[in-house]
Amino acid sequence: MKLRTAIISVLCLGLACSAGILGTQAYGQGKGAVEMPEITVLSPMGTPPPITLKAQAPRLDTLDGKTLYLVNTGFVGTERLMEVMTEWFAANHPKTTIVNKRNPSMDVPNKALWDEIHEKADAVILGLGH
Amino acid sequence: MEVALNSGMPNLRIQYFRGPVWGKTNDQLRKQIIEGNNPITGKPVMQEIIGHLTRPLTADEKKTGELNPGRGPAAFTGTPDELQQLFLDKRMTDFLPITLPTEDKVEEMLKATSHEPDEILGKMNPGSEAGDVWTYTVRDAAVNAVMAGAKPEYFPVILALGSTGTTPVNVSDNGFMAGAVINGAIREEIGLNSDIGAVGPYAHANTVIGRAWSLLAINGGNCGKVGTTYMGTVGNPVNLTNIIMAENEENSPFQPLSVRRGFKKGENIVTLFMGWGILSAKNWKANVWGSTMNYPQIIKDIYAQQDAMFGTIAVLSPPIADFVKDAGYDTVETFTEFVTDAGAAKPKPKIGGFGMRGGNFTVVVTGGSNNNYFMMGGMVPTVSVKIDDWR
Repeated sequence: MKLRTAIISVLCLGLACSAGILGTQAYGQGKGAVEMPEITVLSPMGTPPPITLKAQAPRLDTLDGKTLYLVNTGFVGTERLMEVMTEWFAANHPKTTIVNKRNPSMDVPNKALWDEIHEKADAVILGLGH
Repeated sequence: MEVALNSGMPNLRIQYFRGPVWGKTNDQLRKQIIEGNNPITGKPVMQEIIGHLTRPLTADEKKTGELNPGRGPAAFTGTPDELQQLFLDKRMTDFLPITLPTEDKVEEMLKATSHEPDEILGKMNPGSEAGDVWTYTVRDAAVNAVMAGAKPEYFPVILALGSTGTTPVNVSDNGFMAGAVINGAIREEIGLNSDIGAVGPYAHANTVIGRAWSLLAINGGNCGKVGTTYMGTVGNPVNLTNIIMAENEENSPFQPLSVRRGFKKGENIVTLFMGWGILSAKNWKANVWGSTMNYPQIIKDIYAQQDAMFGTIAVLSPPIADFVKDAGYDTVETFTEFVTDAGAAKPKPKIGGFGMRGGNFTVVVTGGSNNNYFMMGGMVPTVSVKIDDWR
């Protein structure tokens, strides 16, 4: 028992010496430190713009007998996805007419295409790919 | 979601599926997407799509009018520990501790510019179409500069960066990064490192200016929110502080980048870059060490391996720049002609709808002279700004 106490004492002494050699300095105030006072800081936030809400397009009661445009916006792979989706509609919604179209730009809606969609389509699935 | 919100339809019906789409065969697309389930709801994808098209609209989906999110409270009060936690909880930090932006500290920062605190400094969004464009003032930039730990003398550089509206924290799932090259006497004036470790993080001015730019993007431009405005598939650690380089003009055999971009020598200019990043040129097999080295050819060979989206940047230490000059290339322009085979057919400008910058090649000289090392990567210069306009 005495031997164990002695070893622990030596270890403690060693640790104390190491701390001294390393020049350890206590920054914290520890127990009894004065509670930090409240301060006020400014918000770093910028200003988001107001958003004008748009009502979404009315929904269809059924897809049967309707014309559905599948529009590929051009990101690599989208054409293939639309191809597989077209097959799925043919097998699962044979009474729906599917029209495949390609928007020439990923970012800008093509006016002629959107005029056609307004005139002829009952619904659109826009394939962004990615 | 951000695009839907900013397009005025916060309740737009969004279909999730196991992505991505591209790179897959028809069979993979059929099994994983068309016949697959929504990973969030667990329901079949196509069944949900039919529902989106045929389920009657809810009252929320029919709403019109104006939604004004506003910028929230102008100030917050609490103990320093509480405020550090509040900034974390509100995601107004980069997850590192900040210098709390008290009014006194912000006022001190604002003294470093003649611009009015309420002046609109810029507008920013996370890039592409993701998220609408937010507005921030000179004061907002000062608050973020304080948070980053900036000294007031850095502030004109931070303002110059902020004035461009360029986000260094891009939404892209590619994990883009940003950088900036600083030329002129301000390098010395504010203690930017252009010697050993020039692109490393261990220089106060370089690192803190870069951090302030990213914090401004997070708070002033709604950037860096993982899952909505930060979609980097594996991310990019450079987004934390960016790469802020001061050119080593004193030890470069070439004209400074700013002069090559049309400014007068000695003007304080910051040139912004965007791209993938840079890494040691030893990464490429073309850079095999030997008893004699043909660095111009090595750089040309590495250039030939670079992707066209952002072109190529060569960040040369002064010894490598000297090698290039000694090989007979007196200017960056003549060296660029050699590297890019001027006059040869350029890469096709479009792939998958993205504008490509094939053929772009930029040289920056910075760093120490303690070895024949340099870095290369994919970064393109975008815009250069006069820093003194923001004093």
